[in-house]
Order: sequence, then structure tokens, then C-alpha cells
Amino acid sequence: MDAQKVDMFIMTNAKYFEGHQLTFIRERLLELDDSHWMLLSTTSFQDPSTNLIISVIAGSFGVDRFLIGQVGLGIAKLLTCGGLGIWAIVDWFLIMKLTKEKNLEKIQKYMY
Amino acid sequence: MSQQHKLYVFVLLACSAGYIWLYYHISKHFSNNTIGEVCLIKSFTGFPCPSCGSTRSVVALLGGNFYEALLVNPIGYVLLSGLVIAPVWILKDLLTADSSFYNFFRSTELFLQKPQHYVPLALLVLANWVWNIAKGL
Repeated sequence: MDAQKVDMFIMTNAKYFEGHQLTFIRERLLELDDSHWMLLSTTSFQDPSTNLIISVIAGSFGVDRFLIGQVGLGIAKLLTCGGLGIWAIVDWFLIMKLTKEKNLEKIQKYMY
Repeated sequence: MSQQHKLYVFVLLACSAGYIWLYYHISKHFSNNTIGEVCLIKSFTGFPCPSCGSTRSVVALLGGNFYEALLVNPIGYVLLSGLVIAPVWILKDLLTADSSFYNFFRSTELFLQKPQHYVPLALLVLANWVWNIAKGL
């Protein structure tokens, strides 16, 4: 793919991924052919900061886990008062990383 | 570690925590001590969350008071069946090098990602929450 397009993608979406993954993403995207550009540019990502706010407010209901697609764990969290309150607090610190991993998974299907 | 093993370790740890919590609760229950408040929602807002009272429900179930358990919180039934079934299923999987629990978990997740399946369940939880607030758990 065109370097200019890839750089534009990286600049616009940098906050959705881990900093150390950006170089890898850029390398992989450069190797792709241009037909993937439309799909890639229309992919929507989840904002880690928004998920953190949701986790703080509604983490005890498992909403943060539901949002990143982990329905099973979300239900477990919902039915146990946020894992007796402990899991809910632990997730405040994990949810941003998990969201970024989920975003990477979303574009990985174009990369391989 | 594969996704499957991560899930198995997590579920086994969660179930152990559940059993420890239950043991702690029952021993306190027998000595007539007050029960500590762990629910974040209830501590902050004063209102019970959808699953508040599930420990009391499970304790009632273990004492054979099925109707009382249903009145306190029906979620107790789900939790107790999970606590009993999940570790046995996982141990069976580990012993036979099978992945039936993981496959069941994944297919349930896919099943619940469809709006026609998760909306009724969400409404049930919501109704239970309203009932919890009305009961003043």
C-alpha cells in the first residue's frame, strides 16, 4: 500500500493501538495491496479512553467486557457483582490494554 | 498459554474464590456476625445491583430453602449451578485432553451476540434489578 496512505492511517488511528505495535502495523500495511484500503479506512475502532470511563461507571455490570466482545466474561462479571467488586477494580487497569488488543485483532484479518 | 488454558485457569480461580467466599460467608452466618459489603454499586449509591443478594440466595439453596432462595435472588440458582458444573467439566476436559467446555463457552458467546438472544436476557436482568430495588436488598 502507498506509504502516504499508511502514514495517514497510523496518524489518525494511533490512539487505538499500543505504541509498540505501531511500527509492526505500519510494516504490515505497507506490504498490503491497495484493494484493502477501502475496508481498512472504513473499519471503526473502539476508543480505549471511552471504555475506561465505561469500566469505572458500569464495570460492576460487566458492560466493559460486553463492549470488547467478551460476552461470557461479561455475564460472569454481571452475575457476581463485578467479581465481588475486586474484578471490577482490576478491570479499570486492564480494560485499555484489552481494548487496544481487540482493535489490533480487527485489522489483523486484513494483514494476513 | 493458549486461549483455552487461560480460560480454564481463570474459571478455576474464579470458582475457588467463589467457594472461599461462600465458606467465609457461611462461617460468619453461623456465628451471627454482620456481613461485609463488597458490592461497589451498593457501597457508592446505596441501591442494590442486579446480583446483590445472590450469596444469601446460594446459602439458602445450600440449606435446602429453595423458595427463599428464589425470593432473595434467582441469580443464586445460576451461580450455584455454575460453581458446581464448571470445575467438574474443566477437570474432565483436562483429564481427557478434550476442549468441550471451551467449545461450549465459545458457542454460547456467539449465540448471545445476536440481539434476538441477548435482548430478552438483558430485560430479565433489568426486571430482576427493579425487583431487587423494590425488595430493598
